[in-house]
Amino acid sequence: MSDHPFIISRRAALAGAAALASTGTAAAAPGPNDEAQLYELAKAEGKIVWYEAAPLEAMQNFVVRFETKYPGVKVQLMRTSGPQQYQRFLQETEAGQHIADLLLLSDQPLTHDLVEKKMLASWRVPTFDRVPESFRIGDFAYAPYTTDMAIVYNSNRVTEDEAKLLGSGWKSVIDPVFKNRFAIVKRKCGACYAPIQMFLSPKMEKEYGLPFLRAIAAQRPRVYSDNPIALDRIIAGERDFVFWLWEGVALTKWQEGAPVRWVRPSPTPLFGNSWQAVSANAPHPNAARLFQNWVMSEEGAKGLQLDYGGMTTLIGYPDQRPITNEAWWKPITEVYSVDWDNWAKNYESDMTAWQKIEDTARG
Amino acid sequence: MTRALGRLLVLLLAVLVLVVCVVPLAQTINTAFYAETAYGLSTARSVAALLTVYTTGEYLGDLVEALILSVIVTILSLSLSVTMAFIMARARLRLAGLLDILIIAPMFLSPFTGLIAWIVLASEETGFVNMAWRGVFGDGDALVNIWSYTGVVWVMALFFTPFAYLFTVNPLRSMDASLEEAARTAGASPLRSILHITLPMMVPAIFGAGMLIFVLAAEMYTIPGIIGATAGFTTLPYQIYLDTTVSPVHLARAASGGTILLWVTLVGIMIQRRVTRRSERYVTIGGKGHRSRPIDLGSWRWAAYGLTWGYIICSVLLPMGALLVYSLMKYSSGRLGADVFSLVHYRNLFSLQATREALGNTLLLGILSGTICAALGTLISFLELRTKGLLIIAVAFLAVLPVAVPGLVYGIGLSRTYLRTPLYGTIWVLLLAYIAKFLPYAIVVARTGIMQIGRELEESARTCGANPARVLARITLPLLKATLVSVLFFVMLMSIKELSASVLLYSERGPILSVLIWSYMDSGNFQFAAAIGVIQSVIMVALVLVTRLIFHVRIEGPLAR
Repeated sequence: MSDHPFIISRRAALAGAAALASTGTAAAAPGPNDEAQLYELAKAEGKIVWYEAAPLEAMQNFVVRFETKYPGVKVQLMRTSGPQQYQRFLQETEAGQHIADLLLLSDQPLTHDLVEKKMLASWRVPTFDRVPESFRIGDFAYAPYTTDMAIVYNSNRVTEDEAKLLGSGWKSVIDPVFKNRFAIVKRKCGACYAPIQMFLSPKMEKEYGLPFLRAIAAQRPRVYSDNPIALDRIIAGERDFVFWLWEGVALTKWQEGAPVRWVRPSPTPLFGNSWQAVSANAPHPNAARLFQNWVMSEEGAKGLQLDYGGMTTLIGYPDQRPITNEAWWKPITEVYSVDWDNWAKNYESDMTAWQKIEDTARG
Repeated sequence: MTRALGRLLVLLLAVLVLVVCVVPLAQTINTAFYAETAYGLSTARSVAALLTVYTTGEYLGDLVEALILSVIVTILSLSLSVTMAFIMARARLRLAGLLDILIIAPMFLSPFTGLIAWIVLASEETGFVNMAWRGVFGDGDALVNIWSYTGVVWVMALFFTPFAYLFTVNPLRSMDASLEEAARTAGASPLRSILHITLPMMVPAIFGAGMLIFVLAAEMYTIPGIIGATAGFTTLPYQIYLDTTVSPVHLARAASGGTILLWVTLVGIMIQRRVTRRSERYVTIGGKGHRSRPIDLGSWRWAAYGLTWGYIICSVLLPMGALLVYSLMKYSSGRLGADVFSLVHYRNLFSLQATREALGNTLLLGILSGTICAALGTLISFLELRTKGLLIIAVAFLAVLPVAVPGLVYGIGLSRTYLRTPLYGTIWVLLLAYIAKFLPYAIVVARTGIMQIGRELEESARTCGANPARVLARITLPLLKATLVSVLFFVMLMSIKELSASVLLYSERGPILSVLIWSYMDSGNFQFAAAIGVIQSVIMVALVLVTRLIFHVRIEGPLAR
C-alpha cells in the first residue's frame, strides 16, 4: 500500500506484502531484547501506523520522543475512540486490509475480545516481569498507564475546606453544601463504568448501591454529554466540580495552567483502561514491536508521565510527574481492583441503570 | 447530441448513481438485518434490531423529538430567510452588497464550531453575553442560556437560515416582476401582491429550501446531542451516534434508525414532487426581458435594517468574534485576563504536519466534490425535466435517497462498500462519499433552477435548428449559471464541513480538517479545535472569493438581478 493518500494501492500487492512481511518475521524474527536488530529492520520498514484513543496532542508529543530516539521510523497517529477503533480494526482485519500496526484501545473487554479472535500478536516486552498481571493480557496487550477516579474541581470556586470535605469520602458529594454546584457525565465508557461497578459491587453495595447514586442525582447536578465538555465547563467556572473524571485528563489541563485540582477519596478504582497491543497482521511488524518495547520501557513511562500525565504501571519506576510536588496532591491510599468478569457481564445494564438515574437529576 | 448518445449518457448516469449512491445505501440497510453481539455485529441474520427500533418507545420517542425539533427549526429558519431574501431582493437598502455577504457568512462556520462559539457566548455562568449583562445590570439571572431546548433551536436556526436564504434570494431576484407590477397597478397593496403573486410563484424554491433545512436538522446529532444531554432530551440522530460510537456498539440498531429517517425523507420527496408537479406554474424566467422595480419600504425600512443587522450580529459577528477569542485562550475561562491568552494553538497548528496535510486534502476534496456534484446534478435534473424518460426519472429519484440517511449511518454502508476495494484508506473514498451525500442537494437545487426557465426559450432555439446539446450549452446553462455556481459553492462548503461519514472513512494517510477539529474536541482541547475552526472558516471565505473571480459571479445572487 502506498503511503501517499492519493495513490490507490493494489489489494493484491498489499496482501502479498503483508504475507511476505509476516513470513519474514517468522523466519528471522528478532527477539524482544534484540533492540539493534529490531531497529535496523524497523528502519527498513520506515513507519508505524498507530490507532490510539488517548488525547491527540499528548500522543503527538509522545511519539516525537520515539522518533527522536529512533530516527528513520515515523509514527503515523490515527485517533479514534475505543469502540470505533475496535470496529474499524476488526472490519479491516476481517477484510484483509491490514493498516494498523499498533492499537492503544480503551476498554479491557474489547482488547480481550481481539486477543480471543487472534488478531493481536504475542509479544513479550523486555519489561514484561515489571508489569503487574492485572495490567497485561497474557503477552498480547499491556496497559502502559493507570486510570483512576477523581473528583475534579475548579480551585477558584471550591475552598480548601470544601476540597478537604470532598477528599474525605465519596459520600461527601451528597452533602447539602454541594447541591446544584457540580456536574456529572451521561456517557457510557470504560473510565465512566469503573466507579459504578465499585459502588454496586457486593462488597460496597450496602454502603453505596443504588440509593447513593439516586442521592447524587437528587443534588441536582448539571448533566453533560461527555467527559471533555464537563472538564472544560468546570475549568471555565460553569460548575464547581465534576463527579467524576480521572487524574490523567485533569492533569493535562493543570499543566497548561488551568485552575483545576482533584481529590481521590478511598477506595479508588485503579485499573488499566488503555491497552497497547501489536496487530497480528502488522504491515510493519518490526517497527511495531520496537515501538511496543519503547512504550513499555522506562523511557516510554517517562514520556507518558510528562506528556499525558498518566501514572506508569511499570513496577519500580518512580512517579516523576511534577504534580507530585504539589502540597494539595495526595497519592491513592486504598485501591479498588476492578472485576473484569463482572465488567463484561454487567457493564451495559449497570450503565443503563445509572443513566436512568442521571435523567432524574433534571427534575 | 443524437438520440443514441443521449441514451448512452442516461445509461452511464444510471450506472454511476447505482455504484456511488445506491450500493452504499443498500449496504447500510443490509446492516440493519444482522444480529448484535456484546461487541458489535454478528455474522448471523436477525430482525431483532429493526424490531427494537421500530417498536420500542425509546427509539420512536427519539424520532418524535428529532421531527419536532426539525419542524421548529425549519419554520424559524424559513421565515427568517424568506423575509430577508425578500428584503434583499426587492427593497432598496444601504450597503446591500455587504449585507448579502454577511447574511450567508454563517455558512463559513461548521455547526459544531458554531456551537462552541455559542457555548462560550451563552453559558449560564461564564458566557460572555451573560457576563456583559451582569456587568451592566448587576448579579442576577442569566440573560440567555445555551444549555436548554431554546438554545438548541436558536443555534440550529441561526446556522441553517443562510442555506434557505441562498436558495430563495436568487429566484426572487430573477423573477419577472411584471405580474407583481400589474397587481399593484390594479390597486393591490405591496403586501397583497407579495402574498398573492410573489409567494405562490416562490413555492418550489421555498419548499426546496424547507426540505433542505428539515433534512439537515433531522440528521444533525452534534448540537442536539451535546446540549440535549443537559437539557433533557435525546433525538434519533444522537441515539444513532451513540449506537455507533459508544460501547457497547449497536450498529444494526443504528442502521435500523437510519432506515426510519429514510422513510421520513421519502415522504418529503414525494410531497415536493406533488407540490411542484406542474412545473410551468413556477416559470419565473420567460422569453421577455424584465426588470423589477424596488419597493419603497417607507418607515418599514428601519425594521428591515433591524432584522438583517440583528441576524448578522447574532449569527456572524458574535460567534465569529467569540471563536477567535476562544482560540487565543490557553484554557476556558470566564475571566479575560492577559495570562489566559496565548498564540500557542496557532503556533502548534502550523507546525503540525497533519494540519498542513489536512488543509490541502480538505481544499482538494471541497473543490472536486463541488464541481462534480454541480455538473452531475444539473445534467440529471435537465435530462429528467426535459426528456421525462423512465430511466432518468428513476436515476434522479435514487440519487436523492442518500440524503435521507444520517451521515454516520451512511458512513457504515460506505465503509462496508469500499472496505474490500483498493480505494479504502485513500482520500478518494471520501470524495465518493461526498458525491453520494451531496448530489441530492445538487439535483434538488438544479431542478428548481431549471423549472424556473421557460421552455419557450429552448423551444425557440430548437426551432432555429439547434440540437439539444447546443440548447443546453447556449441557452439553459448560461441562464443556470447563478444556480450552478450556488450549487458548486454549497457542496464545496458542505464537503469542507462534513464530519459524520468522514469520521468513519478517513485514514491516517489523508487527514482532513473537520475530523481533526472533532479529534481535538474529543480530546478535550476545545481551544485548539476552535483555532482550526477559524482556519477552516478563512479557507471557505477564500474559496468563495476565488469562485467569484473565476466565474465572475457573486454567489450571493445579484447576478440574477
